[in-house]
Amino acid sequence: MRLDAVGKRYGLRQPWIVRNVSQEVAAGRLIRLEGPNGSGKSTLLKMMAGVSTPSAGKVIGRPHTGYVPERFPAALGFGVREYLQHMARIHGLAAADAGTAVGEWLERLGATDYARAPLRTLSKGMCQKVAIAQALLSRPGLLVLDEAWTGLDQAARGALDAAVADRLSAGGTVLFVDHDPARLADRVDERWQLAGGMVIVVAGGAGAARAPAQATVIVELAGVEAASLPALAQLDGVLAVSGGPGIVGEPVTEPGLIAVTIRQAESDALLRELLTWDGVHVAGLRPAQAGPGQHRTGR
Amino acid sequence: MIALLRYQAVNLFRSHRWILPLICYVLLISVGGVGAGSSAVPAYLRAQTLADGLDWSAAILVPVVALLTRSMLTAEPAAARACVSAATGPARAQLATLLVAFAAGVVLAPVGASYELVTAGHKTALLLPFSEGLAKALTCILVGSAVGTLVNPPLIRHQAVALLSTIAAIVVAWVSSISPANAALHGNGATIQSSAWPAGVPMLAAFALVVVSWGASCWLAGGRGG
Repeated sequence: MRLDAVGKRYGLRQPWIVRNVSQEVAAGRLIRLEGPNGSGKSTLLKMMAGVSTPSAGKVIGRPHTGYVPERFPAALGFGVREYLQHMARIHGLAAADAGTAVGEWLERLGATDYARAPLRTLSKGMCQKVAIAQALLSRPGLLVLDEAWTGLDQAARGALDAAVADRLSAGGTVLFVDHDPARLADRVDERWQLAGGMVIVVAGGAGAARAPAQATVIVELAGVEAASLPALAQLDGVLAVSGGPGIVGEPVTEPGLIAVTIRQAESDALLRELLTWDGVHVAGLRPAQAGPGQHRTGR
Repeated sequence: MIALLRYQAVNLFRSHRWILPLICYVLLISVGGVGAGSSAVPAYLRAQTLADGLDWSAAILVPVVALLTRSMLTAEPAAARACVSAATGPARAQLATLLVAFAAGVVLAPVGASYELVTAGHKTALLLPFSEGLAKALTCILVGSAVGTLVNPPLIRHQAVALLSTIAAIVVAWVSSISPANAALHGNGATIQSSAWPAGVPMLAAFALVVVSWGASCWLAGGRGG
């Protein structure tokens, strides 16, 4: 599966929430999306799940997908088993297999007693179990979890962790967002950090999960006038500017680009500021070579 | 697709959002279909011939199907739709909701037409007007579906605007001479003046409207992303 220059904005005059994300998504990997509130994590997840159509670019080769939304609504007129049975059929299971799969997942998530309960009467945690079950029924090649652990009891959290491991060992890809930095930390293969709507891919691993505050990022800018280089260097969070006439330092991928080394903690605000500059646009974003803790390998 | 249709049909049934359109239909049918002999009803509301009655039962399918379409387009919570979209894609999920509202209209049409048949004042030459009446009903279902699709989410997302435009669009579909429903109803000169539209054109035009509106709705379904 591959993202090709994917971007999203909710209206022609609205700002881009996600911009120009080109990324290979290898099969069998566990990928964690990170970023502050409003950085576009859920938006990117939805596009990768096929729920939302990108405003620019496209998602290529998406396998069969199960998606667990951030909040699952109880406002549906179905019973638990009945809803899951419908979802299993929609996911392409035959009637008999659907019944078996529904029974299995209700049991794994500890929801068998609620099989007959109407969705409307369920607590938040039970609703979340239903949302998780519907995504896993068909054993999808791509599992997308948007804060799926929130509101679950201990046993169900364990069951979900095990289900993620199942998907990975079957060669599936799992994408997730979670507020707990320790979630599946020892298994994460890649961490995608969203800043200014763009993605910086960082290797996973337990150590890397505790992202250092000093991490730095290199932004490549096009269309910066020589006269505004000093102003650029003065901005909060900018550590170094290179690539301009007579300046050496970080290499740039194309001549004419300006490479700016910035502190990752401030990258979001900084990118927003830069995008208001006349004629300036961001050509690329990558972790700095010297960024501490960023190049530990995963498993 | 069959699994999707079944899910959406059950969702419509359980959401009780079909009740208001059905009540509208029953009320309007009974008002329009009151027998010619009753003096309690003003003359212009009486169904004097079977053709009149059938025209009436077809005409009221425009608002009823438009309301059903609106019900379907707003019945499913965004997160539930997102789960379905991940499995099938947003366009197919949207198509299923539109088809279910359309199918509900197709179920209602013969019920109303049969009621007119039973209560008609002059029971002569029943078969021809009945089949013509069903053809008009189909045109009206198509127009109702197109109207309901065009003025509701995802094409119009603002709730109040969508509701008001639904009402406005129904009126336009009824009275304006460019509306295929209007043309179909006036086609045989049974009710008011005869139409300039050649036979068959209203239904084709209504069908084209449905293709365009459904296409736009399905295309935009993934736009806001759940």
